[in-house]
Amino acid sequence: MPHLPELEVQLGRLRLANPIMAASGTFGYAREMAGMVDLRRLGAIVPKTITPLPRAGNPPPRTVETAAGMLNSIGLDNDGIEAFISNQLPYLASLGVPIVVSIAGKNYGEFVSMASRLDGLPGVTALELNISCPNVSGGVDFGADAQMCHRVVGGVRQACSLPVLAKLTPNVTDIAQIAAAAEQGGADAITVVNTCLGMAVDWRRRRPILGNVLGGLSGPAIKPIALRAVYQVARAVKVPVVGVGGIATIDDVMEFLVTGATAVQIGTANFYDPTVTMRLLDQLPDALAELGAASVAEVVGTLSV
Amino acid sequence: MPSNADKPQTTHVCYADSAWHGVAKVELNVQLARDTFRLRIVCPQIARRILPGQFVMVRLPGINDPLLGRPLALYDVIVDGGNPAAIDVVYLVVGKMTRLLARLKPGEMLELWGPLGNGFPPVQGGHLVMVAGGIGQTPFLALAKEHLGLQQYGDPPRVAPQAKKVTLCYGVRTADLLAGLDDFRRAGVEVFVSTDDGSLGHGGVVTDLIAPVVDSSPWPCCLVCCGPEPMLAAAAQIARQRHLPCLVSLESPMACGIGICFSCAVKIRQPSGGWDYRRSCVEGPVFRAEDVVFPTTG
Repeated sequence: MPHLPELEVQLGRLRLANPIMAASGTFGYAREMAGMVDLRRLGAIVPKTITPLPRAGNPPPRTVETAAGMLNSIGLDNDGIEAFISNQLPYLASLGVPIVVSIAGKNYGEFVSMASRLDGLPGVTALELNISCPNVSGGVDFGADAQMCHRVVGGVRQACSLPVLAKLTPNVTDIAQIAAAAEQGGADAITVVNTCLGMAVDWRRRRPILGNVLGGLSGPAIKPIALRAVYQVARAVKVPVVGVGGIATIDDVMEFLVTGATAVQIGTANFYDPTVTMRLLDQLPDALAELGAASVAEVVGTLSV
Repeated sequence: MPSNADKPQTTHVCYADSAWHGVAKVELNVQLARDTFRLRIVCPQIARRILPGQFVMVRLPGINDPLLGRPLALYDVIVDGGNPAAIDVVYLVVGKMTRLLARLKPGEMLELWGPLGNGFPPVQGGHLVMVAGGIGQTPFLALAKEHLGLQQYGDPPRVAPQAKKVTLCYGVRTADLLAGLDDFRRAGVEVFVSTDDGSLGHGGVVTDLIAPVVDSSPWPCCLVCCGPEPMLAAAAQIARQRHLPCLVSLESPMACGIGICFSCAVKIRQPSGGWDYRRSCVEGPVFRAEDVVFPTTG
């Protein structure tokens, strides 16, 4: 009987039992999904981004469906880091899967102080720096400027002993340059991509549809953009790449792995197919076997161009 | 201003812990009124658990456009041989997804997940007055049947107090949009109708119908309301003036229905003062009227 392929992957100092992660902002704080998903099977969970202080988020409507995708302008609605630590973290810690805490600060100091606050807390396995949310002013700048990206990643690395993932925006001229800056700053892995800045309009009322006018596009519509970003970033850095953007099927997962992603995050698909992560985990061994691979690592970045 | 989340909350989070997700067969898809259809989905897993006021998310399997599920309230549970076998929902054709739903034929498949949301609590009080605007009547048939002792819902079946009387005040733009009147009347519900254009019943807004009903009732009244926000705000005000309990089921747009996307934010008053955006899908869709900050009332 053939051996099942090895699913374990390594993201710098962070080891995952498999490459299927739940993406930030699309999985709540995981407790919401406990009735539909066996959370313990996931490679890692990235809970919804937290900020130093509570944020009410943007006025509704916060999302609108577009062709094969959706625009969102939630605006990092969250109860702040202290409420996260007291109300959400104990549950997340009890799951026994890596928890990659997604943090967003308005400035360098906020990122660094959040990293230092989370360092060593039970249940915090790693950090993902959300330097790419298009819906909060200030947040996007770090992911749009190589120098600022380098500095904030470096500052977080110094402030804590946790593995650090830098989540980048596709809304830049040269994502490979930003990724290289994050790597030089000490990122253990680069997550690409956050949402693509977009807009929807009601022409009869001559009004934008979203309360916040602009929003982030996600879902199958952005998969080619995310795949392109993984391709460009994987060629520009030596650290592992985590692919995210429109992944919904096992074919999508395999495309990202072959193109250079060591792990993938499932985002918007959780909204319209809440048990998708379990199905992908069921299907992954057969897909790897189809390529004759004995492990995930064996297929990562094997694209011939 | 948003209040501190560590303080006590007005609402209780109702996770989708008993939700089922899968593909199920359409058994019936019949027109009830203009642009309004009754859809029956064979799904015992959801049928045996769902409560009045809860909802399911529905989408077409295997396609990416339309992408997201649509929240549809339980209309009724169909019992077959003593066992809950199917759920009925009623939808108004308003957009891309509902236009495609209207074309579904018996035997075709739908993807759905549920039951979701908190649903109505068992309503105390002698006279249950249900106020519906537009397509807002859909959550009320099961609630009425439950409180008239005709059917039980939930697993284990929930015991609801029996109402002395159930009244539906139901307003639409024009008469041919009235959907399901026979279902309500057959259940023993007293029905009053309003139309914006005066084509049937009271010509005017549905909230005009509330005061005559509650002021002449010999029993303590409880209001439950579903419809456009100005209607809910007006009904809530009538209830407040008379110190009557009032529940509202909100129709906030949703992307996931299970609490993970934070799209369906509604302003809910907090015990500490002020308000906070709460998720209608897991902390509602049923709220106490006095907890909701309606845009029209501030």
